[in-house]
Amino acid sequence: MARSIKKGSVVVAVGTKKGGFLFHSPDRRKWSVEGPFNAGGSVYHMMLDPRDGRTVYAAAPMGSEPWGPAIYRGRAGQEPKATQAAPKFKEGSDLSVSRVWHIEPGPSNAPDTIYAGVEPAALFRSDDRGDTWQDIDSLNYHPTRKDWQAGGGGLCLHSVLVDPRNPRHLVIGISAVGAFETLDGGRTWTTENRGVRAEFLPNKYPEWGQCVHKLAWDASGDGSLFQQNHSGTYHRGPDGGAWTEVTKGLPSDFGFPIAAHPRQKHTAFVTPLIGAGNRVFPKGQMAVWKTTNRGKSWRRSTKGLPGPGAYVAVLREGMAVDSADPLGVYVGTSTGQLFASRDEGESWKMISDFLPPILSVTAAEAR
Amino acid sequence: MASDVSPKEIARAGVLVRIPPALRSYTDGQDEVILEASNVAAMLRALDVNFPGIRDRVVDEAGRRRPYVNVFVNEELIGASLPDAKLNPGDVVHILPSVAGG
Repeated sequence: MARSIKKGSVVVAVGTKKGGFLFHSPDRRKWSVEGPFNAGGSVYHMMLDPRDGRTVYAAAPMGSEPWGPAIYRGRAGQEPKATQAAPKFKEGSDLSVSRVWHIEPGPSNAPDTIYAGVEPAALFRSDDRGDTWQDIDSLNYHPTRKDWQAGGGGLCLHSVLVDPRNPRHLVIGISAVGAFETLDGGRTWTTENRGVRAEFLPNKYPEWGQCVHKLAWDASGDGSLFQQNHSGTYHRGPDGGAWTEVTKGLPSDFGFPIAAHPRQKHTAFVTPLIGAGNRVFPKGQMAVWKTTNRGKSWRRSTKGLPGPGAYVAVLREGMAVDSADPLGVYVGTSTGQLFASRDEGESWKMISDFLPPILSVTAAEAR
Repeated sequence: MASDVSPKEIARAGVLVRIPPALRSYTDGQDEVILEASNVAAMLRALDVNFPGIRDRVVDEAGRRRPYVNVFVNEELIGASLPDAKLNPGDVVHILPSVAGG
């Protein structure tokens, strides 16, 4: 750990269109910043690995030039370097990875394992911290793949959830395709979209084709999930079954991120926007909405957030929670403001302005 | 940057490949590499043997040249024929990104 980042600090990793930044604070009141890393180039996703609290991973193009996608790795506070290889499809495939959207730590008992979700939609696994990658055939060449259609955000695999109870249980989300689940470590996958609307298709409830925007585990610890979709907000009960739409009480059925409380069951945060045709906060008021009862009701929080007159937006990876008590919640806008709450989303403080457009926010504790 | 290697020496040793700054992290900072190869595909494979991962920066997993990455042989742009483009001892290969903007 670099001396400037104290052990026990919360580190908020922010990927932007022009580099990556690490905000860190021992008390979550006064923040310092390291960066930019990969200055001038996009950093699509960046995180401090919560398993060791020292290793930073980032998904970014190689340099700021057109050399293809790369995974970067390094110690927090130091410039990460490209790993030996980026995820790539197997030889003979006509597919080519154009962008890594998301990096997800593997299970706690496999500290060298990380997953990557990429565009065109596919899941890759590395068991050596990103130096070599395994193409997850059963999903990446799923029988339905030939009919997958890209949405406006591209055909991207952006959500990867690894069940902390069972590392063979994963749930993933692909834009305009939907959610898939495996219970056997990725050997077989089932579509998990029952009850989820696809307003843009003739059949509003197809087996797949729904536009999942983000997935998160419910802290209930029984396999329950939250989902923010292009068409609504949803909760799925323990270990499978249909999703229940929980949009009622929110100002719209459209938004990108969803972040769940890591300890308090049935608790999550969303940032609804006006809609697909106007992706800014309703009435020019930035707001984070919170549920503590798996979406049966929602409460709006605006204290410390800009508006009215704030026509800003939050992108798919733009919200995160830390592991502290009380919980910290972090939201970055596509216009470069970073907000933090250190009271479980009740009130907010802007910790940085004038950043490049924020593409991703993650949070973890430095060790 | 002018090469320290004379054309005669290149001709004896093989093909000279100029490495762009963005890819020198693969070559331990070397800005040029001399190797033996009879075409561009073989040159990229040979480069990758010496500097694992560098080939993936020029072509994708299907062997297609990445958009906005250009390969010149003796200052002549190699387009669609990239993998099969012939190389001869003494040739100088430049790997360069396209100009940004426009």
